[in-house]
Amino acid sequence: MISLILLQATAPPSDWVLFWGHFHPLIVHLPIGFLLIAGLLELDRLTRRNSVSQHTITLILFWSAVSATMACLFGYMLSLGGGYEDDTLSSHMWQGIGVAVFAWITWAVKSENLGRIIPAASVLYLPTLAVALVLLLSAGHLGGNLTHGSDYLTQHMPGPIRSLAGLPPKLPELKAEPITDVNQAMVYQQIVNPILHTRCIQCHNADKSKGGLRLDTPDLIKKGSKEGPVLVAGKGVNSKLIKVCLLPEEDDHHMPPKGKPQLDESQISLLTWWIDQGAPFNKKVSELAVNDAIRPVLASLGGGGPVDAGGNAVAAKGPAPESPVLTMKVPAADPKIMEEVKKTGLLVLPISKEQNQLEVSAVNARSFSDAQATVLPGLSNQIVWLKLSDTQISDATLAQISKLKNLQKLHLEQTKITDAGLKQLKGLTNLEYLNLYGTSVSDAGLAELASIKNLKTVYLWQTKVTENGLAMLKKALPNLEIVGGVTEQAVAEFAKAGQEAKTAEEKKN
Amino acid sequence: MDIQDQIHDQLSRRNFLGQAGAGLGTIALASLLNPTGLFAGASTPGENPVVGKPHFSPKVKRVIYLFQSGAPSQLELFDYKPKLEAMWGQDLPESVRKGQRLTGMTAGQSRFPLAASKYKFAQYGPGRMWISELLPHTSRIAPDLTFIRSLHTEAINHDPAVTFFQTGSQQAGRPSFGSWISYGLGSDNQNLPAFVVLLSKGRDGDQPLYAKLWSNGFLPSVHQGVVFRSGPDPVYYLNNPPGIDKTSRRRMLDYLGKLHQEQFKQVLDPEINNRMQQYEMAYRMQTSVPETLDISKEPEYIFDMYGPDSRKPGTFAANCLLARKLVEKDVKFVQLYHQGWDQHGNLPNDIKIQTKSVDQPSAALIMDLKQRGLLDDTLVIWGGEFGRGAYSQGKLTRDNYGRDHHPRAFTVWMAGAGVKKGVVYGETDDFGYNVIKEPVHVHDFQATVLHLLGVDHEKLTFKSQGRRYRLTDVHGKVVKPLLA
Repeated sequence: MISLILLQATAPPSDWVLFWGHFHPLIVHLPIGFLLIAGLLELDRLTRRNSVSQHTITLILFWSAVSATMACLFGYMLSLGGGYEDDTLSSHMWQGIGVAVFAWITWAVKSENLGRIIPAASVLYLPTLAVALVLLLSAGHLGGNLTHGSDYLTQHMPGPIRSLAGLPPKLPELKAEPITDVNQAMVYQQIVNPILHTRCIQCHNADKSKGGLRLDTPDLIKKGSKEGPVLVAGKGVNSKLIKVCLLPEEDDHHMPPKGKPQLDESQISLLTWWIDQGAPFNKKVSELAVNDAIRPVLASLGGGGPVDAGGNAVAAKGPAPESPVLTMKVPAADPKIMEEVKKTGLLVLPISKEQNQLEVSAVNARSFSDAQATVLPGLSNQIVWLKLSDTQISDATLAQISKLKNLQKLHLEQTKITDAGLKQLKGLTNLEYLNLYGTSVSDAGLAELASIKNLKTVYLWQTKVTENGLAMLKKALPNLEIVGGVTEQAVAEFAKAGQEAKTAEEKKN
Repeated sequence: MDIQDQIHDQLSRRNFLGQAGAGLGTIALASLLNPTGLFAGASTPGENPVVGKPHFSPKVKRVIYLFQSGAPSQLELFDYKPKLEAMWGQDLPESVRKGQRLTGMTAGQSRFPLAASKYKFAQYGPGRMWISELLPHTSRIAPDLTFIRSLHTEAINHDPAVTFFQTGSQQAGRPSFGSWISYGLGSDNQNLPAFVVLLSKGRDGDQPLYAKLWSNGFLPSVHQGVVFRSGPDPVYYLNNPPGIDKTSRRRMLDYLGKLHQEQFKQVLDPEINNRMQQYEMAYRMQTSVPETLDISKEPEYIFDMYGPDSRKPGTFAANCLLARKLVEKDVKFVQLYHQGWDQHGNLPNDIKIQTKSVDQPSAALIMDLKQRGLLDDTLVIWGGEFGRGAYSQGKLTRDNYGRDHHPRAFTVWMAGAGVKKGVVYGETDDFGYNVIKEPVHVHDFQATVLHLLGVDHEKLTFKSQGRRYRLTDVHGKVVKPLLA
């Protein structure tokens, strides 16, 4: 019936209709209050006799009926906006109309004038009030379900009460092994099932199997829905499971239904790839064919390592994980300390809009000195990038820098720091970038860096470091990239690169 | 501060009541500029909030864009196609061209004879990248390079194509890439502009460049690119004229500032504030520019590395050295343009002259940035506005041929922060004509560079004439497989 009414309203409702419709949630609480208070007063009257006048209760009932009728009207207007689950909406509507009808009857049999002409009015009164109240509670509950979702009341219900209420136990939390190496990940258990679990299983499980489909176990996935299988092994895009996800969201058959959390592009491509590969339930990624399209998606799942050793190196690796000091939450810097730091001529910049981490730079503070460096530890939680290159600092500043425990990048190039100062940097466990070019650092200082395990790149052009010192450091930190620079000799050789080609050409000619 | 906010502050309710006598014009202006702001209370956010910082932590802090204006031929430089040699002189198969649009310069040709590169290729670096013998220095730094062989664009002629690359639209009038970055990210050095432009040319008579390419468009004018030149007077009109010393300049600016403030109070044009900011910036630049661009202390071997041209002001090599000096001082976006690549005829000879002026300085710049630790958070981009076609324009001989514009596939390289090194992304067909794998549209490319700078390209917007604009218009996808 309701669907019939809704079908008639094919044109989108006017703004006026929806404007008033949106008053439904407001108006609807009036009959709830009025009817309940009428019921409670009647209860009171039954037990204590004559606490309030009959006239008062009649008046309350009259307004219950009026407000319930209004609520029905507005509710219908609201429903025209669409987006509600049809069955629940229909029950809610008829129960709401029931409340209005019974409120009017209750008022009629109670009222002094009408009550007289209705036969058996006094006998009818209490039962009609009771029916109105029951309908009220039921319609109210359904209304709540429509607005907040049918599991709103029960979603946090503790276990014992759930079983008392006859509800099934909560769906167990999915326990998938986190992916450490994507090559070794189980395709169904670690990739496919987690996607189904977050996007599909809510409606396709043991308790609620919409369309007769369950997606919670391999066997039932293979079995499909009441209309037949949802997978065509080897043909992802021909499988109903994928097709319904690719339909436009407005389409009635689109899954997950409009308004529910949707699958994103990479999730759909992972599911498609899995079905293309025959939808196996016990294979690892490395046992399936990984094509160029899916490789970056797989790589983004984590683990980092190349997905296909023989493949294209570009797509094989996802972006390297970010340093924890860039992703962790740090408290906002004290504005007073920031001001102090700025007064020394340093530039203080947040690394991004949403982070409290700071970049501090002496780009315009060439006179920045050891004495001023004492302000830095005030921002020890926040400074991740520090650029003190080409300033007057010496080893004394390194003692202050040693307190900046979240430092990830440190520029000390072209300063007077020495080997002795580098000792101070030992405790900077998050340091990844260290620029020492144009300093008097030598092998002895370099040896101090061996304990900074996270160090990724060190710049040593125009320092006193020798091959020997480099070899020692390389041994301690095999993954460290050591960047030197050109020498006059190297430049001469580099400049010749063109001429070689030229002479070769001349010879040819 | 955002211009809309500034106006809003100027015309807060209290000010408005105080200035009620100021006339209807003021009210009309304020409500035009901020229709809700006038009576809605001070909390209304401006329409175009200045971002001023990245959306998320950036991999790239600075960009050097070595724009090769005129469109270098990918077939002579980066995209090795032995099939062209095998089919030399035969017609371009129709199955490849598929009736696609050509320029008026070759559309009338009766034949489209395939031209192979006169120059040889070899593979370099761990990524086994094919690089032409015309680029002996660039091939040395192959391990640091990222090739995108699958760029494609929508424009077929120079001006719209360069404008498209630089502003995201083929029609002039939108803000330039550098202006967007200046607007979105602000400056890391208050004494220098965030967006600097350097110009050079390989030969005379090539495609011209226009100042609109580094225009701020509808963004506040403080974000426009500032042209620097090498030599004793790097910025036009920056130095004090004869007879004016620093003190009198300062006094002049102070009084001018007061006059501007008076004027602003009356007409509330935000550009007055921009102008004041620019005067002050120019004043600071009188000191910072000579300091930053001082090449007198560069050792000889650094000049040697950039090549003999680097001692000649105004050359590409000299500009590469300046670009390094600028990023050393944290200038955000350094835009070089090098003209002279439009080789419709006499290509083998002209491209050789052109590569000679470009190859060594480009490679030297990468090496120099690297040894100074700057390549860690600087991105260098090298490429033109489109590519060149597989068939010869005009007469084809073994030693001479030409190539017409080709927007469907061309190569751009990048080096530096945030991108995978030593790899090739994308692939073209046997004729280098169509992209067959991993296409990258100009908007994708722009989105990717913005992403590296910590900017979500969909969120960097500015409202003008009733709509919000982006560098990537309504397109663009970050090329995630390129990210390191």
